[in-house]
Amino acid sequence: MAQTSANVKKGDHVQHHFVDSDQQFESAKMGMWIFLVTEILFFGGLFLAYIVFRSWYPELYLMASDHLDTFWGAVNTVVLIGSSLTVAMAIRSAQLNQQKGLIINLAITIALACIFMVIKYFEYTHKFDLGIYPGAYYAYDGIAHDKANIFFSIYYMMTGLHGIHVLIGIGLMIWLIVRARKGHFHSEYYTPVEITGLYWHLVDIIWIFLFPLLYLID
Amino acid sequence: MATSETSNIKRLQVRRFKPEENPKSTYLTEETGIWAWMTTVDHKKIGLMYLASILFFFFVGGTLALLLRTELLTPAQSFITADTYNQIFTLHGAIMVFFFLVPSVPAALGNFVLPLQLGCKDVAFPRVNLLSYYIYVIGAVFTLIAIFTGGVDTGWTFYTPYSATTGGNVMMMTLGVFILGFSSILTGVNFIVTIHRLRSPGQTWNKISLFLWSLYATSIIQILATPVLAITLLLLTMERALHIGIFDPALGGDPVLYQHFFWFYSHPAVYIMIVPGFGIVSEIISTFSRKHIFGYWAIALSSLAIAFIGFLVWGHHMFTAGQSSLANMVFSFLTFLVGIPTGIKIFNWVATMYKGSIDMKTPMLYIMAFLFLFMIGGFTGIMLGSLAVDIHLHDTYYVVAHFHYVMMGGMVMAFLGGLHYWWPKMFGKMYNEFWARIACVVIFIGFNLTFLPQFVMGSMGMPRRYFNYLEQFQGYHQASTYGSYILGIGFLIIAAYLLHSLLRGKKAPPNPWGSRAMEWQTSSPPSLHNYEHTPVVINGPYDYHKPMSEFQLGIEGSHNGHGEHQHTETKTVEADK
Amino acid sequence: MSGHHISSAKFLWGVGIVLLVLTFITVAVTWIEIPSPWNVVVAIAIAVVKAAVVAMFFMNLWWDTKFNILLLVMSIIFFMILVGITLLDTLYRTDPIPSF
Repeated sequence: MAQTSANVKKGDHVQHHFVDSDQQFESAKMGMWIFLVTEILFFGGLFLAYIVFRSWYPELYLMASDHLDTFWGAVNTVVLIGSSLTVAMAIRSAQLNQQKGLIINLAITIALACIFMVIKYFEYTHKFDLGIYPGAYYAYDGIAHDKANIFFSIYYMMTGLHGIHVLIGIGLMIWLIVRARKGHFHSEYYTPVEITGLYWHLVDIIWIFLFPLLYLID
Repeated sequence: MATSETSNIKRLQVRRFKPEENPKSTYLTEETGIWAWMTTVDHKKIGLMYLASILFFFFVGGTLALLLRTELLTPAQSFITADTYNQIFTLHGAIMVFFFLVPSVPAALGNFVLPLQLGCKDVAFPRVNLLSYYIYVIGAVFTLIAIFTGGVDTGWTFYTPYSATTGGNVMMMTLGVFILGFSSILTGVNFIVTIHRLRSPGQTWNKISLFLWSLYATSIIQILATPVLAITLLLLTMERALHIGIFDPALGGDPVLYQHFFWFYSHPAVYIMIVPGFGIVSEIISTFSRKHIFGYWAIALSSLAIAFIGFLVWGHHMFTAGQSSLANMVFSFLTFLVGIPTGIKIFNWVATMYKGSIDMKTPMLYIMAFLFLFMIGGFTGIMLGSLAVDIHLHDTYYVVAHFHYVMMGGMVMAFLGGLHYWWPKMFGKMYNEFWARIACVVIFIGFNLTFLPQFVMGSMGMPRRYFNYLEQFQGYHQASTYGSYILGIGFLIIAAYLLHSLLRGKKAPPNPWGSRAMEWQTSSPPSLHNYEHTPVVINGPYDYHKPMSEFQLGIEGSHNGHGEHQHTETKTVEADK
Repeated sequence: MSGHHISSAKFLWGVGIVLLVLTFITVAVTWIEIPSPWNVVVAIAIAVVKAAVVAMFFMNLWWDTKFNILLLVMSIIFFMILVGITLLDTLYRTDPIPSF
């Protein structure tokens, strides 16, 4: 299975306190999963704020979500699902020692993530133009509800924090490409690709929930 | 050579490895120099760096407490203004909770002991471990900046809307604590993975020490609760920076929601602080009673039960905050449940001592103090958990006394016990037993003199966080202040003899307490990679009925593939495992 | 048990297409009027299915150790605790428990 180029490097990546490569790989993966647990609860706090205020002011959510563009939200969902697919393909490439496939898939992922951010940017600036700012700076009178600022505070916090996670993901992906070009990854060692992939899928999952909760309230 | 069955799959050839009496090369003599220390990934050195940091913060927080107590000698203002008083109690609380109590046992003692008790060379992610230390330092720097650029007067709970509107540099402080949270999370991730993946051959889940079980439970709380604190503080920061209004009633938000957010972390955080202390108690009680721990699984699982129930009770901090009566009743009921696993633990510890061969060395003395003080703290907690009583006692000195009995009488006593217990292992030096016992007694007396009067004046209605008070409370306040001075003297004695021990203490043998636990089966202090062999475990850590020779078994050589040239060896071990 | 599961490219594409179809469905159901609580239930249910598909087949939980699945489940349980108990307060603030 392993190619000759991989054989040369074999074993180099095993740190001294691990018995073998598998133990190290499984440890890293478990560590990442535990970290994802913290991410889920981190966003969980925002979902809690969302749920509490929605239970108090259901009509506010109906009115306010009209001002979010379902079309672009749906496009962004498709973009992120596509990027999840390419990350999964990148891991597959690494597992099969396909250097080129790995780099190409990572590059497509970065491109999709950038598209996501660009769309987000236009959504944000459109709202700013209308005067839809969070909290105290809210200055839009198109929504007949006195708590409209709270909805958009929650909206900006959720999508903003998610956006920051996308940016971090882009950074990680660039780092992976740099390392992949140096030939660091092969079928015996692709841990960073795997755990970055896990992180990226979680970012996708969070968006999968944000999309219907924010955009699809009819 | 003895052959023994260590797992149901493979038989291992093991032999006895006696720990070296006078090790030439230890982790303290290898890789010295400031740069080597600062960039070390060795869990023992990182543990010591944490230890030095938390002791520094303990000193700062303690000094602040003495300032507060001195101000309270008289009912009127004596030497600090009311605003300064508010800032000082905020800092005392924030520093003691976030910079001392939370990292004290897990990050300092736990970092040092955990891999030793697992027989592995390091934690699973050594670089992440170092990172967590530097994140802690960065968080501390942010807090210091906050102190010197306006201070914070919100109390350590940062309740909105006051924290969103008051002057000072609340944002810097909350960011500091936010950053600190990552350090806590990374330690938790590291410990869980290490306990899962890096146990020695033969070390099944029923053969790891109860200290590890408690660290495991603590780590679970850390990873589940800390992110909620992070989002809380982030929202609070945004509240101040952008006035997002989620917690601000003036903008349509809800301040009680902030308290839900905050206490969802901060109540479990109380268990982050105390549960590792429980682990230390289990270790020390068994060692100094020379007896198998009573109810191993009961103690191990009650740690997990406390971790779980701890997540269900946060609302008992909010009985008077305006939450619904239904929530009040549910939280009050759930709060009583915490008493069950805690009671199970106390029962098992006392049962361990029953008919044991008890040796009242300093660590054991601290644990006796722990049992006594923690019981008082625990029972008064049950009283505060009942709704009607809490309405009267809420935000009085009764509450202050309660959590100091739990946190200081419980946690700090356990920490001091653990510090004395593992001191010989850490530095290879013994401390002066006589002065250590004196200090323990002085602290015990000083502690009770400080906080018992607070129960009394609290139940008489003395509110907490007040700068002035009615003259009728002066006697209690004075007793409390003098007690705090005695407490301070006790800590100075400790500092003196520990420093003396470091500089010219007697050399410690590898196993001064005759313990069966794994960390004592290597030299004191341990070598850079903990063990020169791969330890193999066939007995539990409390099996005092088995001979010492059965606790020092291992496989020849360090088979963990250390260094490039040893890689070929790894293959043969894989076959063994 | 091992984490070195290699999915075929065909399989991954299949998972991706399933997710896209589910995305289309979740948008499409908003075109028909579903009465109030149920539209949220349907939206959340589809999101849960999508998230589960991502977790199982993109994040390889299907072939992973049970502990990693347990971790995911645990995080959801504790999120539910956070929400559930907080709602006990926020939903019942105005109408207290009837007196006995």
